[in-house]
Amino acid sequence: MKLTRFATALAGVSLALGAISLAQAAGDVTIVTVVKVTGINWFNRMEEGVKEFAKENPGINAYQTGPGQADAAQQLKIIEDLISKKVTALAVVPFDPPTLEPALKKAMDRGIKVVTHEADNEKNTDVDIEAFDNTAYGASLNEHLSACMHQEGKWAVLVGSLGSRSQVQWADGGIGNAKKYPKMDLVEPKLETNNDGERAYEVAKEVLRKHPDLKGFQGSSSLDIIGIGRAVEEAGLQGKLCVFGTGLAGEAGKFLESGAVTGIAFWDPKIAGLAMNNIAKMLIQGKTVTNGMDLGLPGYNKVTVSKGPGKGIIVRGAGWIDVDKSNYKQYAF
Amino acid sequence: MMKFLPIPASWFKDRQLNFLLGVNLLITLIALVLSHGEFAGIDNLQSMASQLPEVALLALGIMLSMISGNGGIDLSGVGLANLAGMTAALTVPHYISGDDSPVLFTVAFVLLTLAIGLLGGLLNGLIIAYLRLTPILCTLGTQLVFTGLAVALSNGASVHVDYVDPLSEIGNGTLFQVPISFLIFVAALLLVGWILRQRPFGLKLYLMGTNPKAAVYAGIPQARMLIGTYMLCGLMAALSGLIVTSHTSSAKWDYGNSYLLIAILIAVMGGVNPAGGYGRVLCVLFSATVLQLLSSLFNLLGISQFFGDCAWGFLLLVTLAFAGNVRLPWRSRTKPAHVAAPPPPS
Repeated sequence: MKLTRFATALAGVSLALGAISLAQAAGDVTIVTVVKVTGINWFNRMEEGVKEFAKENPGINAYQTGPGQADAAQQLKIIEDLISKKVTALAVVPFDPPTLEPALKKAMDRGIKVVTHEADNEKNTDVDIEAFDNTAYGASLNEHLSACMHQEGKWAVLVGSLGSRSQVQWADGGIGNAKKYPKMDLVEPKLETNNDGERAYEVAKEVLRKHPDLKGFQGSSSLDIIGIGRAVEEAGLQGKLCVFGTGLAGEAGKFLESGAVTGIAFWDPKIAGLAMNNIAKMLIQGKTVTNGMDLGLPGYNKVTVSKGPGKGIIVRGAGWIDVDKSNYKQYAF
Repeated sequence: MMKFLPIPASWFKDRQLNFLLGVNLLITLIALVLSHGEFAGIDNLQSMASQLPEVALLALGIMLSMISGNGGIDLSGVGLANLAGMTAALTVPHYISGDDSPVLFTVAFVLLTLAIGLLGGLLNGLIIAYLRLTPILCTLGTQLVFTGLAVALSNGASVHVDYVDPLSEIGNGTLFQVPISFLIFVAALLLVGWILRQRPFGLKLYLMGTNPKAAVYAGIPQARMLIGTYMLCGLMAALSGLIVTSHTSSAKWDYGNSYLLIAILIAVMGGVNPAGGYGRVLCVLFSATVLQLLSSLFNLLGISQFFGDCAWGFLLLVTLAFAGNVRLPWRSRTKPAHVAAPPPPS
């Protein structure tokens, strides 16, 4: 009796799986976008871009996947499975670029086109796409922060992960910019928050306890700003602290309203997702990206192309979006 | 040798094993149908076999620590694996050039990694045996120590390992189409199986896990047993770390931070009794393959990883319900069979 029920359940599961597999089997050209971790707003927004690309290109099976937990090991496993599945192209946002080198090399050896994002140190890639120059972006964030702090006072920098190269570059860009102002006192350089809003909140709280006279925060991961915002609100310091960082208007909106976060900057992950897939498609067609090319996407109208650390090239878009309380509503994601 | 390989008839006595084999078979069949045979392609088989060892070796460590009883568990495996790989990655290139003497480089790399693993295990064993700390607390502490050391050594960034042919082969190469990392895992499996079934150490470990008090009165040297067990756990972690470092040609403090719970899941689904005294390597092997088959199947079909987690949880519940456990009433009748399973030392 037990066995019959069990068998029925399994039959049900296999039928469902069958339906899914049929839905997946559209088109021979497959471009898979592998993100750092699924289920966070940033990469949900990127998935919108991937879906838009799939809609525009009915002949291509394009979809996004990624590990359920933020772990380089899990991302690596997904990529290895996709290589053995013989996809046509991989668009990867590496959790930790060096970890993926052997796997991406294997992919390229087997003729799979590889496009990466936020990984300008990745050697085994055909094209790496950067939304902008990371150091300049960090410096710009810090310029806003410095202006808000009147170029003086204690400030701290948070990063999602010390292993995340772009975040460290933003932080270093900011720290470099602040050196222009002798009265800016960096008390906590690059505290790690594990790309976790809860952890960022705890770290920010500790910093505020340790330095009650702190004047400013610069966040790096999109979740840093959320954690800082919570800690600032809890301490009742809205409007008294200057808080800037990478963030998404949808997530950080309420903190911008309350004044716990002064301003955020970001690039649109949806556009990045579209750009990665468009370039992957170009690579499949045997084309490549050249300096000054217009990819037909906002921020990517005149891209800069430079040589990467490996055989591939680095394509940089132009511009990030600076947003504060007055205009964040235009960017509803 | 005949004694070591159980005769086929005795296989059908282990409900857990039968169940796991059945699930393996079922998932493989479903995968074959859904992928139109692609699932059994050599690429996919190799890919799965090379993904399995990292976490399955950690699961062997969890199994050993659980068998020792008294709440035994080794939470420090992932941290130790990363620390061992990282220490070797930072130290060995300073003394030996990988370009000039690749074999010596690799041998030194392997030995240093394993030595760190054994040392870490020794530390766990000493604390648990002599300071009488609960294993879960001790290994939680040492996990933080190992991870923290790895962060401090590397400043949080990945440590790159230069390409050295024999070393890279460990994680990426194949022997007769079988990934070398998988062969290492099989060797570890045989070693642990041999120790548990053929050596006095194994018998004592099962007895100690079943009834610590009786074990003391029977004259089993508890401290030495604990130290030995946790050193073996450390060795498994180091092997895992070695494979990771070689496979990714880098070492990072947070690599595989999701592995701990998966390793525990594999052990428990493999029928290891968390209360101690029971666990079979064969079941742990097939429990690990179930998870690997499922996760690769989901990736092949492009199904969300969250659904994968959900499926694993569901599978664990089904396993506990259908395969039965030593603690279920109808199971206790057959319990002596397990305790008697390891043949007496000859």
